[in-house]
Amino acid sequence: MESLEILTAAVADPFTYARKLKKDGGKKVVGYMCTYAPEEIIFAAGAHPLRLFGSNKNIILADGHLQAYCCSLVRGVLEDALSGDLNFLDGMIFPHTCDTVQRLSDIWRLNVPAGFHLDVVLPVKLNTASAREYLIDVLNLFRSNLEKALKVKITGDDLRKSIALYNEIRNSLKRVYELKSKNPQIIKGKDIYTLLRGAMIMERSSYLKLLQSAIKELEKSAIKTTNTKKKRLVLSGGLCSHPDIYSVIEDAGGDVVADDLCTGSRYFAGLIKTDGDPITAIAERYLQRVICSAKHKDNKSRAENLIQTAQENGADGVIFMLLKFCDPHAFDYPYLKEALDKAVIPSLLLEVEDQPQAQGQLQTRIEAFLETL
Amino acid sequence: MYTAGIDIGSITTKAALFKYGKLAATKLIFTGYNSEAAGKKIFTEILQEAGLKESEHIKVVSTGYGRGSVSFADKAITEITCHAAGARYLNNTIRFIIDIGGQDSKAILLDENGKVKNFVMNDKCAAGTGRFLEVMARALEIDLDKFGALSLKSQKPAPISSLCTVFAESEVISLISKGVAREDIAAGIHESIATRVSALAARAGLTVPVMITGGVAKNIGAVKALEKALNINTIISEHAQLTGAIGAAVLAQNLK
Amino acid sequence: MAEEKDPEKEKRKIKSVKKMKDIMTTYYIEAKMAEQTGKKVAWITSGGPVEPLIAMDVIPVYPENHGAMIGASKMGIDLCQKAEAMNYSSDLCSYARSDISCATVNGGPIGGLPKPDMLICCNNICGTVLKWYEVQARYFNVPLFILDTPFCHTQFTDEARKYVRKQIEEYILFLEDVCAKKMDHDRMKEVGKISVEGQRLWQAVLDTAQNKPAPLSAFDAFFHLALIVTLRGTKLAVDYYKELLAEMKQRIADGIGAVANEKYRLLWDNLPIWYRTKWLSEKFAAADACLVADTYTSAWCGALKYIDENNFLESMAEGYSRIYLNIGIDEMAREVIKMVDKYDVDGLVMHSNRSCKPYSFGQLDIQRIVRKERGLPSLMIEADMVDERFFSESQIATRIDAFMELVRERKGA
Repeated sequence: MESLEILTAAVADPFTYARKLKKDGGKKVVGYMCTYAPEEIIFAAGAHPLRLFGSNKNIILADGHLQAYCCSLVRGVLEDALSGDLNFLDGMIFPHTCDTVQRLSDIWRLNVPAGFHLDVVLPVKLNTASAREYLIDVLNLFRSNLEKALKVKITGDDLRKSIALYNEIRNSLKRVYELKSKNPQIIKGKDIYTLLRGAMIMERSSYLKLLQSAIKELEKSAIKTTNTKKKRLVLSGGLCSHPDIYSVIEDAGGDVVADDLCTGSRYFAGLIKTDGDPITAIAERYLQRVICSAKHKDNKSRAENLIQTAQENGADGVIFMLLKFCDPHAFDYPYLKEALDKAVIPSLLLEVEDQPQAQGQLQTRIEAFLETL
Repeated sequence: MYTAGIDIGSITTKAALFKYGKLAATKLIFTGYNSEAAGKKIFTEILQEAGLKESEHIKVVSTGYGRGSVSFADKAITEITCHAAGARYLNNTIRFIIDIGGQDSKAILLDENGKVKNFVMNDKCAAGTGRFLEVMARALEIDLDKFGALSLKSQKPAPISSLCTVFAESEVISLISKGVAREDIAAGIHESIATRVSALAARAGLTVPVMITGGVAKNIGAVKALEKALNINTIISEHAQLTGAIGAAVLAQNLK
Repeated sequence: MAEEKDPEKEKRKIKSVKKMKDIMTTYYIEAKMAEQTGKKVAWITSGGPVEPLIAMDVIPVYPENHGAMIGASKMGIDLCQKAEAMNYSSDLCSYARSDISCATVNGGPIGGLPKPDMLICCNNICGTVLKWYEVQARYFNVPLFILDTPFCHTQFTDEARKYVRKQIEEYILFLEDVCAKKMDHDRMKEVGKISVEGQRLWQAVLDTAQNKPAPLSAFDAFFHLALIVTLRGTKLAVDYYKELLAEMKQRIADGIGAVANEKYRLLWDNLPIWYRTKWLSEKFAAADACLVADTYTSAWCGALKYIDENNFLESMAEGYSRIYLNIGIDEMAREVIKMVDKYDVDGLVMHSNRSCKPYSFGQLDIQRIVRKERGLPSLMIEADMVDERFFSESQIATRIDAFMELVRERKGA
């Protein structure tokens, strides 16, 4: 698939891609780390939102700022920043998520020279009228702060165009997931991973074109491919930076048919309303979307959503991928597992880190889990 | 009709040969750094012992961390499933298996029919594995084989609380320098590993009867400490270390 | 045979300790008898707005204080392991782990906390409390109120002020709903005044450590802190701290220091290592060092500057949002430097506490800033506040010895 090749290249080396985009396209690049970054507003400002995923490098410089019990995602992103690999960034934004990212924001502000720095102190609860109001206020504040930082004006029209584009991207990604779930053979898990990553790395308009052409090809091959009876699995957790996990699962006789990851379905879940005030509409999507474990909606919604995802996709089991030292997800795991047990959905816990894994241990756990299904 | 199971672990490689569904021969060698060669070597040796030729049609299942490097195996199956099958072959009432291996500890829950229902393994750190005992035995300058028996002599186990192997080692060293008796330190170390492993067992859903498999089953100190921590009696087979290989040979019978 | 009492040690003992213990015992007995007395019990986070609860006659109970007691009575390992068996990772906060498992077994030093009728969670201290209280809300199936205090990296925005104020109104409505009675606003004003008075007294107690020798150390403050946390807004706390303050003033007059031969004055950062406070305090005392101040106990009076006692409800939005842990690390460093100057400190002792990420991440930067601004040596102790399995005595003893050599050398020069 030609579109996939282009995507693979960008995803393999996002920093080179972003530098080129900046040099050739004159785009300003704004970094972010999580799905609560309102990238629609960054795009509307004419800048390029680039998601950072951590580093495969050995952690050396970040060790001078963060202790060993900090998650590898945050340590990795800081390592990239301190080593100068991110010096092309025009700015970095930090939406409020977990305690660790809060402190990363402070450390970044004090130690990373490149670009502007904006905190987007979102509400932690998303289920009250005052939180809704505050969320809209904060997004408006972000809009005006970003205008100042980038020295641009973000008009209502800019926002509406951006929203339309993001809706199309999200709809298309949803379509990819539907195709995969219906017929897991048509595309490898690692290619889905690449398609998703591309959405957070590449220039969004050209990305959408690639995505749409990929979908056309998938739809064609869907007709020809027969479905084999492999075990159907759902991945759950924060972010997944392990394309290898998909191959391990596939080699062991399984397929990932859906996920509950912030680098997966949480990225594209929910569309933004196109009528009314655009900032309010962006806020509404966050209020309605399935939450990350660092946010509060009620006490059960994540479990309900996970079970629904598993059942709708006919899953045989769920694999939790918990980033070591990620507190919010580790706190949710016992209740999510209990809920799955009650719904008679088997699950497996994998503790992962961004830096290279002991591949053998991972493989044994996954294979053994599939053997039990 | 013959089947064989080959279990390549991080420290030792084990093989079991079955004839008409019955255990006919077993073998244990050190893995060394070449797991592929270890697999070939043990297979040749066990066939020789049984007076068989390699050309004979023998179904082979490989297991253990080196299971992928056995090129002549008909299938590779993880040690979790193999330990289950092996334990049930050795004793068909077993519902729960605790395996303390060199780099992994596992707690495996079986259903009434011996099928794996749930399993939990240690996290990345070495606490609660065979490696932990090795490091501690070295710090105490005691042979690993005598380590368990020594701990049984203790009247007053010295508490070792650190989770981290490196911390625990420095705790042990400071106990030595304080003049605490070796047997008390040894007993403390075994209690520490038992606590870790019993947490795994609780998470997997401890159900009796319980069998302890793997090399650590031979360590009487660890077994007693574990029984105390779990507050149950356990079953240990004379073939404890071979459970995975035996299970692999059992599962090879199902191959078409 | 009666143990021989060391008169030198007896002289240094703080006499109010007994009274404090009695008050806390009575408090917990009353809380545990709430069901019989018909009072409602609220579990609340240590940085949470307790005053409206007092005004509504609800008994506040602090799982974090309970966690500290579990740690101090060395019951942490057992309860943490129980939580791990319940699938909670050993990397999670040990207060949360021990409280979560304790609730299911009614274990710990006081046989478990009284069951809550409601949960009040304020995230000004961390995001962990949010997850922890969600767990307990599911377990006890009781209403949960979250006071969401936006993080003040560089400022407390107007948007945040509006949001927190609105939530305080919602909080009162929540309480009126759960308690099925109206808030008495006159009483609320009164409680607000008493709370401010208690905080001022607590600050005054801590301030006495400016004296050389300091009449109390941070280790004493860790203990006497309990009332300003749990009984803030009551006369009981005010009266107690008045007495404690008087005792401290008397100690100053009599020249009694917390450490027999105070030569070096140190500042403690982060939560105490509850199961080793005695060991640590003796270790430092043996080196003639007194921990004269700390960032932890002063957090319960640090936001006084934002609070208007005559307009408590309105101003508490800012007071509760701008506490020590809810601000950026550069502002934290400035606070530390202020304390270094105020208490004339010779070195910094930082507890890198794997249970408390918002307190610990950034310590390395604070350390650097303080070193640059004031040239102070500092020590980092890697440990955990409740889970003893993360404490390596031999390693820490060596570090303290080496650090004290530095402090002595600098002071001698």
